[in-house]
Amino acid sequence: MEPTRALDQHRAGTSQDPLFDELVTLLEDLTSDWETGFSGEIGRDTRLIAELGFESIDVVHLIVTLEERFGRQDLPFQDLLMRSGRYVSDLSVGDLSGFLRTHLAA
Amino acid sequence: MPRTVLIGLDGATFKVLDHLCDQGHMPFLDRFRRRAAHGVLTSTPNPFTPPAWTTVFTGRSPGEHGIFDFARVTRIDGVPRSKLATARDIGVETLWSLVSRSDLRVNCLNFPLTYPPRPMAGNLVPGFVRWRHLRHSVHPPELYATLCALPGFDRKELAMDWDLERKALKALPRGEYEDWIRFHIRRERQWMSIVRHLDEHDPGDLLAVLFDGTDKLQHLCWRFIDPELVPADPDPWEARIVELCLDYFRQLDRFLAEIVERAGPEGRVVVVSDHGFGDTTKILYVNAWLAREGYLTWADGAPARDDDQLNVDGHADPSSLFDWERTTACALTAGSMGIYIRQAAGPGSPGVPPDAYPAYRERLRQGLAEIVDDDGRPVVRAVLPREEAFPGQHVERAPDLTLVLSDGGTLSVLSSSRVVRERGDVAGTHRPEGIFLAAGAGIRRGATVGPLPILDVAPTLLHCLGLPIPENLEGRVPAEIFEPAWLGRHPVTTGPPTRPPTRLPRASAHDLDADEEAILMRRLKALGYVG
Repeated sequence: MEPTRALDQHRAGTSQDPLFDELVTLLEDLTSDWETGFSGEIGRDTRLIAELGFESIDVVHLIVTLEERFGRQDLPFQDLLMRSGRYVSDLSVGDLSGFLRTHLAA
Repeated sequence: MPRTVLIGLDGATFKVLDHLCDQGHMPFLDRFRRRAAHGVLTSTPNPFTPPAWTTVFTGRSPGEHGIFDFARVTRIDGVPRSKLATARDIGVETLWSLVSRSDLRVNCLNFPLTYPPRPMAGNLVPGFVRWRHLRHSVHPPELYATLCALPGFDRKELAMDWDLERKALKALPRGEYEDWIRFHIRRERQWMSIVRHLDEHDPGDLLAVLFDGTDKLQHLCWRFIDPELVPADPDPWEARIVELCLDYFRQLDRFLAEIVERAGPEGRVVVVSDHGFGDTTKILYVNAWLAREGYLTWADGAPARDDDQLNVDGHADPSSLFDWERTTACALTAGSMGIYIRQAAGPGSPGVPPDAYPAYRERLRQGLAEIVDDDGRPVVRAVLPREEAFPGQHVERAPDLTLVLSDGGTLSVLSSSRVVRERGDVAGTHRPEGIFLAAGAGIRRGATVGPLPILDVAPTLLHCLGLPIPENLEGRVPAEIFEPAWLGRHPVTTGPPTRPPTRLPRASAHDLDADEEAILMRRLKALGYVG
């Protein structure tokens, strides 16, 4: 069994945070053919830019993907990406998961 | 059903193509132009790729389809914020949808604003999507594996994205020119290989393919392409650049020949550009002017540039350049030529109060119109209020004011020590006059027509496909391009209006149709957000 499928099944059976798990599955699939050299397990502290190899245009596309996935175009991603008027230098999967949790419930 | 083919050549202009044909560099196009109905095609009020191509494939003006830029600008507490414009932002039905629900199939390749793909019958590979995201962007999804199996397929060569689009507008070091041109030669080969594959395995009723290397080369290399500017006595580097540009157009000519051959004797081929091209020597640093006049305050650290860069680096929201406590007007992107006014969200909020807006905008408009260069010559030919430039249901999305510069030139959103600066080298920039050529069964041979408005392209294609023209399309079928006898046997018919797009731009999940809502509810339930 492929490691990713095994992990998905493990998560499905034991998940305490299905939103986080879904986000991880999405990121694993998205980056699977990016040739970034990342070989670890994506966790809450995994950083999109420093570890998963995202560039700014990839964050833009990720936002579109998330909007499509959750059927929402009104999510205030600028609140996640900017602090005090400046763009954050990186973003963790946990940051993203927390943002989605807050705003999907709104 | 004879096939209908739309070939897009981004930024193509007769000034260049006629010269290349006359000089023997494009022998197929030379023969084609002589047998085609042809004329100038007038672009959208701002002759710019996103609104213009969207008009081509919707038959609606920008104020109706809602696309003005590669960026979609929304106002949050009155502050204009930009994000990537996508197919979801098109507020009207597209040609792809119209054709699909008429039980015909369409193959759509490399058009902007076709990502993410909307439901359609046929195949779609969007333009302006980075290679990393191509796998999730094609329709149907299984097409991606098929493309990867094509001999020589290279997703990194195929895909163009916003970063590379912006690179076309920058002045590159001499050492990067040859790689840039060769890259676009290779890109077009990649798209052509997809054309061939689909023609052999799933040809469809409408093929729409866009070659956008013309625009990318012309921006950077205009002085090596414009017959009036090509160096008469080039140095060795200049000679190589001239020859490489010719290589690009020679290859394009071979591709045009092959596509027309594949369309067959009963097919109809329409070749258009979204806008034309011309030279520009000036950059207007309009935000520097706005700052000088008190409309705008730069945020700390906003970069000042005295080179030929026009936009912010990367994908930073350009609104981050400004101190929004002390800014009421700004330009966000170079290509839109637009000025956005911050309107106060409520009493006492920063921005221009609603009752002050008309006078404020008029004062701003007059000031912009009076900008002159160092020799006292006007830089701005016109300043268009949005109701005038972009009337329609989505006028509120448009810039409050849109500039038309005297030499068709460009503006920079960056800070600068000067408001108007001469470029280091002459560059190419957009002009309203694009191209229209049509040939095939029932089309008048060699007829000179127009100028035609770009709104006429969609009705023309629909009529070629034997479909009625929805009554709410804003253009017409130009009868003058067809043989009277053929048109008599195939009269233009009018049909019901277009339908709302399959997935309307929506503010909440409540606007989904029943199937979409069911899928979403299952997903949200699995995540624990609903019971």
